Amino acid sequence: MATDIAEFIAPTDLSHALDILAQGRHTILAGGTDFYPARVGRPLTEPVIDITGIDGLRGINRVEGFHRIGTLTTWSDLITTELPPGFDGLKMAAGQIGGIQIQNVGTIGGNLCNASPAADGIPPLLALDASVELASPAGTRVVALEEFLTGYRSTSRQPGELLTAVLVPEEFDDATSSFWKLGSRAYLVISVAMVAATIVCDADGTIETARVAIGACSPVAKRLHALEADLAGRHGDAADAVTVEHLADLSPIDDIRAGVDERRNAALHLVRRTVASCLS
Amino acid sequence: MQVSMTVNGRTRTADVEARTLLVHYLREQLNLTGTHVGCETSYCGACTVLVDGKATKSCTVLAVQAEGADVTTVEGLANGELHPVQEGFWERHGLQCGFCTPGMIMSAVALLNENDNPSEDEIRHGIEGNLCRCTGYHNIVRSIEYAAATMRGEDPPASQWKDES
Ligand SMILES: Cc1cc2nc3c(=O)[nH]c(=O)nc-3n(C[C@H](O)[C@H](O)[C@H](O)COP(=O)(O)OP(=O)(O)OC[C@H]3O[C@@H](n4cnc5c(N)ncnc54)[C@H](O)[C@@H]3O)c2cc1C
Repeated sequence: MATDIAEFIAPTDLSHALDILAQGRHTILAGGTDFYPARVGRPLTEPVIDITGIDGLRGINRVEGFHRIGTLTTWSDLITTELPPGFDGLKMAAGQIGGIQIQNVGTIGGNLCNASPAADGIPPLLALDASVELASPAGTRVVALEEFLTGYRSTSRQPGELLTAVLVPEEFDDATSSFWKLGSRAYLVISVAMVAATIVCDADGTIETARVAIGACSPVAKRLHALEADLAGRHGDAADAVTVEHLADLSPIDDIRAGVDERRNAALHLVRRTVASCLS
Repeated sequence: MQVSMTVNGRTRTADVEARTLLVHYLREQLNLTGTHVGCETSYCGACTVLVDGKATKSCTVLAVQAEGADVTTVEGLANGELHPVQEGFWERHGLQCGFCTPGMIMSAVALLNENDNPSEDEIRHGIEGNLCRCTGYHNIVRSIEYAAATMRGEDPPASQWKDES
């Protein structure tokens, strides 16, 4: 029986990494904070490609109307990078992921590819109309995050594709944004529910555009499109417009962390609080 | 596989199995058993070390991933005298059973390297990735406040316990 990792490769060059991935055998390792805990108690034998040494995949820069967040950008990187107010919600989420040690190594790309319903990075990025860039030897494609996430821990990433970056359009730079998460304690906690909102108001404070996304209440985090439409045209009291009907599409689970009713109730209050905090 | 890194200021080169976690390399091959293994799921923080100055859970890093890195463990802090954070834990009873202590100390060192005058909230935020089963957080916070003051060259806040100076 194999007792060691069959192969461990740490390329520094993207095209080399894509050639290795095209063989279809290797598991991708980034910060490892989802990878290792998922393998506790069993031998690590699968071939691994460590992508953390690849040049150019870490950090945030502006490219043609977008903020390009390299897949290896850690939560700590996000928190310490100066970004427009539209990113406040994403930064609030980053600061609540695990603890400092997890934020120091956990990456944005790992969070999206792992695609947990409780991934805190997902709602803020959905609320920013983010898309992801996927690379393979055949080239690069860009997919809206909403389409990338196909279900419970599943994505439309093809075997052999590497997520290289997250793209956030500049149109939300001056928006206000926020993130609220409910868990059983303040830190190191898997979300019972979490909500992110991005709101653009005109000069009189009337809502022009709203994006609201909620996680941990369905197999994959969801945008609340009906609510977004109802928020448009409202003012500072918009949080009052949030009703249970807006949450009808959610299918919260019953588990050790919270029951269905508790999750629904929490979701309603979190959505109101998040919208209100964008407008205050 | 061969791996080479600096541990507590010394270059260490060794042959390891690729699957070897950094914490196992430190404990079993370098005999640096000050770094503890609490949960193996990256949760508890007992295995926290500094990798290139950043607090990192060494149970979720392969030794080979630390190639070329500068690693500091709790053994690397004292330099003839206790590090101020170690002194703080001594002076303010920052431990009960002691299991979480090395990890707590490393997180505190990382925090104080970035912020030499943290508020109580900032201290609690800085150690949020470390669990203390004795629930001794109160004294841990006092210990870190003691260390912060000492490192700034100030007198540490007075102890809350009467029988101490
Ligand atoms: C104690 C603890 C607390 C945590 N708390 C939270 C929390 O509060 N909120 C939260 O959302 N998450 C939390 N997590 C989960 C985790 O830290 C995050 O999801 C993190 O962002 C994952 O990033 P990573 O780089 O560590 O991913 P890895 O573990 O390296 O990878 C995750 C998955 O994505 C794949 N992958 C990674 N990068 C790519 C890529 N570029 N292309 C294709 N596939 C890729 C990997 O193969 C793997 O399947 C926690 C984890 C721990 C251990």
